[in-house]
Amino acid sequence: MSRRAPLDYEINNPLITSRYSFSKIFKDLPLFISLLTILAFGLFMLYSASGQSIGMIIRQLFYISIGLSLMLIVAQLKPESYKNILMNSYWFGLLLLIYVLINPADGYATSRWIDLGFFNFQPSEVIRLILPLSLVAYLCRRESSHRTSDWFITTIAAFICFYLVYRQPDLGTGLIVFVSGLIPVFLAGLPYRIILGYLFGLAIVTPYIWSNLLLEYQKQRILTLLDPEADPLGTGWNINQSQTAIGSGGLTGKGYLEGTQSQLDFIPESHSDFIFSVIAEELGLVGILVMFFLYGFIIWRVFRISFNSETNFERITCSSLGFIFMLFILINVLMVIGIIPVVGVPLPLISQGGTSIIVHLLAFGVILSMKKIVT
Amino acid sequence: MKIDQGFTNRSNDLRRLKQRSSVLFLLVFLLIVVGLTKIIKLTVIDRQEYFTESEKNRIITIPIYPARGLIKLSSGEIVAENIVTHQLAVKKSLFDKSTNEIEDLKEMLSEDWVEIEKSNDEIINGYDEVILFSNLNSKQLAKYQVNKARWPSIYIKTQLRRFLPHKNVFSHVVGHLGEVTKEEARQDDDFIYQLSSYLGKVGLEKKYESKMRGERGIRTIEVDVYGNQIRELRRSFPKRPSNLFLSLNLSLQTLAREELSGRKGAIIAIDPNTGFIKALVSSPDYNPNVLNKTEKGSPYPKEQEKYAPFFNRAISGSYPPASTIKPFLGLLGLEEKVIEESTVIDDEGFFQINGEGRKYRGWKEEGHGKVNLNKAIVESSDVYFYELASKLTIDKISNFLSLFNFGKNTGIDLINESSSVLPNRNWKLGNIGEPWFVGDTVNMGIGQGYITVTPLQLATSVSAIATQGKIFRPRLVERIGDQLIEPELLFSIELNKKENWKSIEKSMISVISSWNGTAHNLYKEDGMTIAGKTGTAQIKSLVDQELTVQEEYEGIRKIETDRDHALFVSYGPLPNPNLTVVVIVENGESGSSVAAPIALKLIQKYQKEIFADV
Repeated sequence: MSRRAPLDYEINNPLITSRYSFSKIFKDLPLFISLLTILAFGLFMLYSASGQSIGMIIRQLFYISIGLSLMLIVAQLKPESYKNILMNSYWFGLLLLIYVLINPADGYATSRWIDLGFFNFQPSEVIRLILPLSLVAYLCRRESSHRTSDWFITTIAAFICFYLVYRQPDLGTGLIVFVSGLIPVFLAGLPYRIILGYLFGLAIVTPYIWSNLLLEYQKQRILTLLDPEADPLGTGWNINQSQTAIGSGGLTGKGYLEGTQSQLDFIPESHSDFIFSVIAEELGLVGILVMFFLYGFIIWRVFRISFNSETNFERITCSSLGFIFMLFILINVLMVIGIIPVVGVPLPLISQGGTSIIVHLLAFGVILSMKKIVT
Repeated sequence: MKIDQGFTNRSNDLRRLKQRSSVLFLLVFLLIVVGLTKIIKLTVIDRQEYFTESEKNRIITIPIYPARGLIKLSSGEIVAENIVTHQLAVKKSLFDKSTNEIEDLKEMLSEDWVEIEKSNDEIINGYDEVILFSNLNSKQLAKYQVNKARWPSIYIKTQLRRFLPHKNVFSHVVGHLGEVTKEEARQDDDFIYQLSSYLGKVGLEKKYESKMRGERGIRTIEVDVYGNQIRELRRSFPKRPSNLFLSLNLSLQTLAREELSGRKGAIIAIDPNTGFIKALVSSPDYNPNVLNKTEKGSPYPKEQEKYAPFFNRAISGSYPPASTIKPFLGLLGLEEKVIEESTVIDDEGFFQINGEGRKYRGWKEEGHGKVNLNKAIVESSDVYFYELASKLTIDKISNFLSLFNFGKNTGIDLINESSSVLPNRNWKLGNIGEPWFVGDTVNMGIGQGYITVTPLQLATSVSAIATQGKIFRPRLVERIGDQLIEPELLFSIELNKKENWKSIEKSMISVISSWNGTAHNLYKEDGMTIAGKTGTAQIKSLVDQELTVQEEYEGIRKIETDRDHALFVSYGPLPNPNLTVVVIVENGESGSSVAAPIALKLIQKYQKEIFADV
């Protein structure tokens, strides 16, 4: 009784401060403001990267508005109230992935897109969020400790998603989805002996898959992914141009709208996956570090929320989303600077693209909803 | 109790989450370190390299080539000009060989003449840009333009190409152009040739290539990744090349060509007082426009192929000087005082060294009787010069002839000039591997044997008699742009006795004016005074001592290419000669009846030309 009293007192307090009402809507004002800042920064860079296209900015603004609205709506929900929905959203995600394989949108070489008439979107972008959330919800469906079967079920669930994305075909994104699914499982306490077992199993199965199940072209594709120097797809040119852009920017950059690599279209996909090169070229190392600092601040707020929240479900959800957010930033940056092969991962909250922006903001909505309001 | 347990569970869970997170944070940290290291390497350490790379990406330079310099005569007549031609070309890198675009085009354009340069299979080698069809006329251009969507990888390329309005007349002077080869493009550091551009391959076109190509300008532009021009950053203008002005005389050149048409041979007409060439013809010749790709057809008639129409006989052909050498030897005889003008020998039709052994026969079976120097030149007595040569010895002959530029290149402003041969003891030992025999000297007395001359070299040597010892470097180009070319005196021959020039000249005049002269057929009572000397160069040695010269030659002349070459050297009009003419007609047999009339016509024509100018 005594524990609840202060909370009741706070809620029923007639002298509501303005800070309190902000906290109620935005939950974590510093996080919200830093999100707005990086979105604004993204728009600012997108204007340059898109060749100063107002149309693209307006479209992106539209997506951001949808994303922010959804984020704020989700932020108001009680986590317990949507835990079950999250758990079952896995099936919805699975449905999307199967649907896209059967009925892909026209005009693309691969079956990655679903045509909604007004909007094409990639289910693999959505599954990145749905999979970890549903797995956390599943693992935390009871307060009691986990059963051994839970670990296998979640691993298999993640693997199914990986396989469906891999079949699009998109091995890179499939792996990212798989890792996104495994992060919450690991954080929830996947026993180390099982991890060792997985690794052992993988070591045994891999040569068998390699020599018996994979076709020659698939092997080639995997080899290409592992070794970007062997370059049958011509991605080397892209990476070279991207590195040229980043390197030529130097410490302070060539100046906003002054990047020759970006403005003259030498950077491929400069508005989406390769927007980092544009930032580096025009704002230099300093600009990149400022951007990293903003990201870092956001991540710090996320983990602060995670470690302060009440339930295991909330904590693991927030941490997982924090790690997935970091994972995406890292993969995008490492890809653009040429350390890992090119996979289609946009720079979170900055790259152009409706699905990516909305999904990431939804994730922040989930995180915000788990913020414990401390008084 | 329950609360406590929940609290404990919670703190346990939190601790485990933090532990697990630390593991992931460590991984993330490692990746961040890797990423930041790479970013710092790119932006700080290798920055300059990447900056240069990015500049190279966006800034490209486009050369601007000036039109090739013109070749004109000093009178203003155009010898070589540039005309606009339209080509259809293809970029190899963009060409899809699986289509039959080329065959399709060929079919459509073929009804009119079009130069088909390459077929489908030939696009593999060479530069990226390949010209498929040349010289489209306006009708073909229109056809192409209307249907061009059918051949997406083919485009029109407009080029200036070389055209000689007088076609063959100046072929061996001007030469022709050809597509630049990779080697040629590499060799030249001062000038960067555009792909499929043309440069001079022979003649003046090659010799003055560096003058006529000018200097290229450069447009520096900024481009996007598709190569579209964004803006022009700077421009340096090309330097206009110089026009060449030739000393040739159009009527003389045309006349000379007409006179040689249907024959093999060469004519050189040169102003002895300056070295400037007034006519230079080698026959057969060719149409340079065909090679310049501005005219259709074959550069020469098929049947002329065996006579090497591309070979410039005037500067590269080697011929025995034959009797045309006699005036020079006579001069040496007088100088060395081996003979005097009045020295008389008995010409009985042959000469024997020390009166015994092999008989060196003269061309006249019965001999010329009593012969002095004048008669020996006028009637071209061989026996007189056999004897003179044997007395002079090879060393003196060789040294003296060398003063007249025998055996040397003249240094004319053309390429591929051959040097003639002026033999001496060392030469024979080195080249033939035998010592010099007196017999060789005797043969040289009539300009046969090892000695050879080019028509051009012979013309400079003869000019030295006309100028009493002054030898000028023969030249075709009188002016490059505004820069006048001064006559270049190679050297002057000083004789011990100046009158010797006059006595030799007098004999050469008598060759025509005297009733017994070998070229008396040119003589006209009221005509101009001309000095000359005939020559008949043997190709086959006459060795059969049993037959007379005439009888033996009758057998030889059955094969046309074994017939004697007809030579005539001359200058006039006296007393102030302004033109030296050397005519060589291969297998023409008679210097007097074939070669000499041509020379006379040229000298006469030239007087009219000069008179018309004044």
